Amino acid sequence: MSPVSATYWGISGYVIFWVMFIIAFGLFAQRLYFLFRLMALGKQENRFDRIGERIKNMLFEVVSQRCSLKSVTGRDLAGLGHAFMFWGFSFFLISYVVFIGLAEGFGLYPYIMGGTLETIYSSILDIAGLFVIIAIVWAAIRRYVVRPERLEISVEAGVIMIMVFSLMALHFCIEGFGLAGSGDTHDWPPVGAAFARFLSGAGISKSTLIAVSRGTWWLHYALILGFMVYIPRSKHLHVLASGVNILFKPLASKVVLEPIPLEAPEGSVTFGVSKIQDFTWKDLLDLYACAVCGRCHVNCPAQLSGKSLSPREVIHNLKEHLLEEGPGLLAGKAEEFSENQAKNMIGDVVTEDEIWACTTCGACQEVCPVNIEHVRKIIELRQNLVLVQNKMPESAQLMLRNMQTRGNPWAGAQSLRLRGDWTNDMGLKILGECENVNTLFWVGCTGALIERNVEATLSLTRVLKAAEVDFCVLGEAESCCGDPARRAGYEFQFQILAEENIEVFKSYGIKEIITSCPHCYNTIKNEYPMYGGDFKVVHYTELLADLIRQGRLKLTNELNSLLTYHDPCYLSRYNGVYLEPRRVLQTIPKAKLKEMERSKSTTFCCGGGGGHMWIEEQHGTTKINHVRMDEVIKTGAETVVTSCPYCLQMLEEGIEQKGVKDSLKAKDLVEVVEAAMKQS
Amino acid sequence: MNIIVCVKQVLDPEIPPAKFKIDPETKQVIAPSGVPPVISVYDERAVEAACRLKDKHKGKITVISIGSEKASDVIKHAISMGADDGFVLNDAAFENLDSFGTAYVLGKAIQKIGGYDLILCGRQAADWGAGQVGSILAEILGIPVVTLACDIEAVDQNVRVKRIVNDGYEVVEAPMPSLVTVSSEIGLPRLPAGMRLMIARKKQIPVWKAQDIGAEASQLDKGNAHTEITSLTVPTRKTECEIVTGDTLSDAAVNLVSKLAKLI
Repeated sequence: MSPVSATYWGISGYVIFWVMFIIAFGLFAQRLYFLFRLMALGKQENRFDRIGERIKNMLFEVVSQRCSLKSVTGRDLAGLGHAFMFWGFSFFLISYVVFIGLAEGFGLYPYIMGGTLETIYSSILDIAGLFVIIAIVWAAIRRYVVRPERLEISVEAGVIMIMVFSLMALHFCIEGFGLAGSGDTHDWPPVGAAFARFLSGAGISKSTLIAVSRGTWWLHYALILGFMVYIPRSKHLHVLASGVNILFKPLASKVVLEPIPLEAPEGSVTFGVSKIQDFTWKDLLDLYACAVCGRCHVNCPAQLSGKSLSPREVIHNLKEHLLEEGPGLLAGKAEEFSENQAKNMIGDVVTEDEIWACTTCGACQEVCPVNIEHVRKIIELRQNLVLVQNKMPESAQLMLRNMQTRGNPWAGAQSLRLRGDWTNDMGLKILGECENVNTLFWVGCTGALIERNVEATLSLTRVLKAAEVDFCVLGEAESCCGDPARRAGYEFQFQILAEENIEVFKSYGIKEIITSCPHCYNTIKNEYPMYGGDFKVVHYTELLADLIRQGRLKLTNELNSLLTYHDPCYLSRYNGVYLEPRRVLQTIPKAKLKEMERSKSTTFCCGGGGGHMWIEEQHGTTKINHVRMDEVIKTGAETVVTSCPYCLQMLEEGIEQKGVKDSLKAKDLVEVVEAAMKQS
Repeated sequence: MNIIVCVKQVLDPEIPPAKFKIDPETKQVIAPSGVPPVISVYDERAVEAACRLKDKHKGKITVISIGSEKASDVIKHAISMGADDGFVLNDAAFENLDSFGTAYVLGKAIQKIGGYDLILCGRQAADWGAGQVGSILAEILGIPVVTLACDIEAVDQNVRVKRIVNDGYEVVEAPMPSLVTVSSEIGLPRLPAGMRLMIARKKQIPVWKAQDIGAEASQLDKGNAHTEITSLTVPTRKTECEIVTGDTLSDAAVNLVSKLAKLI
């Protein structure tokens, strides 16, 4: 007999069942509605394009648990535990709907229970339950005994673990006492049946067994309902929000920055973000999706080099802030709040130091299981500081002023050249002086202006000429792509540069652009299309790999040396280009390539991205390039090869400052390639 | 409060020194190609000082510059920082003026604009560095001048200026209208922010010729100039290094001393 069909103190079990359910569901729905309204406070943003692809992605990520398994390493197996808990619990979730909802609540008991199907499913549940229990115990030991760096001790996590553990334990109790009470002997489901055999042998009366089974059933039911009520009120909101967050993740590029409408009248648009409601709804959904797992925390170069920035804390604090401010905002007190707000979001919730410490390397986003977009939030906060509050580190201001008045970020640097100088005596086609060339080699400010990087530019030019690539350059007419301005929050300057450059490319009929700087590459490839500039953009490493494949470039000179390749973030992580440079290096006879622990899409920043070539690092902290240099040294390589002008500078500085100049050199990939070419 | 700021467009001082070339014949600087000229650094601080006063007291900032038509870039830069209006003073007769000629032209333009409380100039131009235009201009306009300001306040009908002196600063008050020249100690100029960049970009900058401001040709005649450049050269810096040796350390010292003695 089902527990619900019984009568308790003269009240039908069905009444108790549904009253309990309605109360719990009411609380659940009320909270969800509240959270939804908070989210709707955010600004508009269209993330509903390619919806079929989005759904497919989401289902794949969640069901396969790729989201949590992708970051599993030998040192951090927690993702595996999560996957087992997810799969195991999913079986239980189905059983809650079918065995409890349909069978008990709707009285479909006779059709569902007691058949072979129930026995099979219950057996699956038993095994799933065991997996969940193992995962829970493991998680508890990890969280409270091992205490890895990325996790903070939290009460919420403990409550959830006890709840899930109790659900599993009660499941076995219901089965055990129920089967023992029925008086028959069973072999399936295995755990329940074994427990029942134990109970039968213990000499407990049948009525007691049935009563206990029934009692535990109601307790179990109450716990499930409690779980439902608790989830949206705790950080385990991620159970509900993360799937949705994955659904709306950016599809085209990693960091999506919306253009500011330039023609809008003054005062009608907010620049960047200074209040929680200035974020878009997707930014706010991100906050719900965070499970505070801390993977971002232990992969952030700023955090690992001792800066105050922790992406985990930024997201967590913003969520707390949203929940704190939300009710007031919903009550329509937005005006009042902005006047006498107890907390300024910039300053009290996220500090200026944190905002400026980010190199926009994207390591946080790469490891985030639920696709939170940390980087653009940081950039949007910077936009407000720069465009509205005129508050930024002096070094950032200097760079931005140079961008604005001189069109390059480098003025004042020592080894500075004039823009077109490097083209002297190279016999290059200069755009505007030649015809019928629609491939442009976009050199970038650093490759054109800074002595060390000009060497790499010249090397690339020679290699391209040797491979008979038909290209032209802009020479002294080249400008900045705008990347440093955009990452530092100076959005207008970026947009002005982007529009001017696109205009130039179009006026000369440029179809294809070769870049040597991954930052230019990312900007022109992924961000210019939003401003009407659609060009085929290739990074030179892709081009070289292609030229080698076509046999137009032959690397024949032996290089008897151990190399390691440092992946530039904006090439590997942002754009997935990490196989091509390796393919090129592996073509060189006798070159040995040894990987660093962090490489390819999980590479570690050199410290130069996001405007940090110019923005000073917080005093009293380790320099990010020193952290990376330690990883380079660990490989024992004689040469660290990279393919980004910033990385090259940062690595060389690291070598110098670490005092390993005699045993280690930093080279641009093209310099290694040129040396390996047969000299004619 | 109505402020007029005089600004100059100069060759970018950040260009690599090796790229700085002059023509000794014509006694002129040859601007390298591919480097856009910039606003003179002190003048930019004068604009910043004007913006700070405007932030506090409201009012209007007008910027003027003598130069080529490209000088509209520096006017636009000032507008992007917070100035409201600006004019370029461009005429063949304005080319290569000395400090007196420059002050005369600026004075004429300022008289045409009229209605000012304060005129700000940079302490000197970042190219020639004469540092005279501000004072001569005040003389022409018949108003008080305070030079080398590191802070400017408007107090009632006066302007109170913190003025840099050798070992600190002094505080000077002058009745408005008056002219103040601004020193770099006033602090970093603001980064043009928000919509201002776009406003400046779209702004049309009128160009005034000599006749528009009523400048008399006789005053601009080169023969009337108060200064003349007799020669122009790039300073050469030469370092010669000689290692003085000797059989023993004391021999080396003796050799060094005898060499030094010859130099004195």
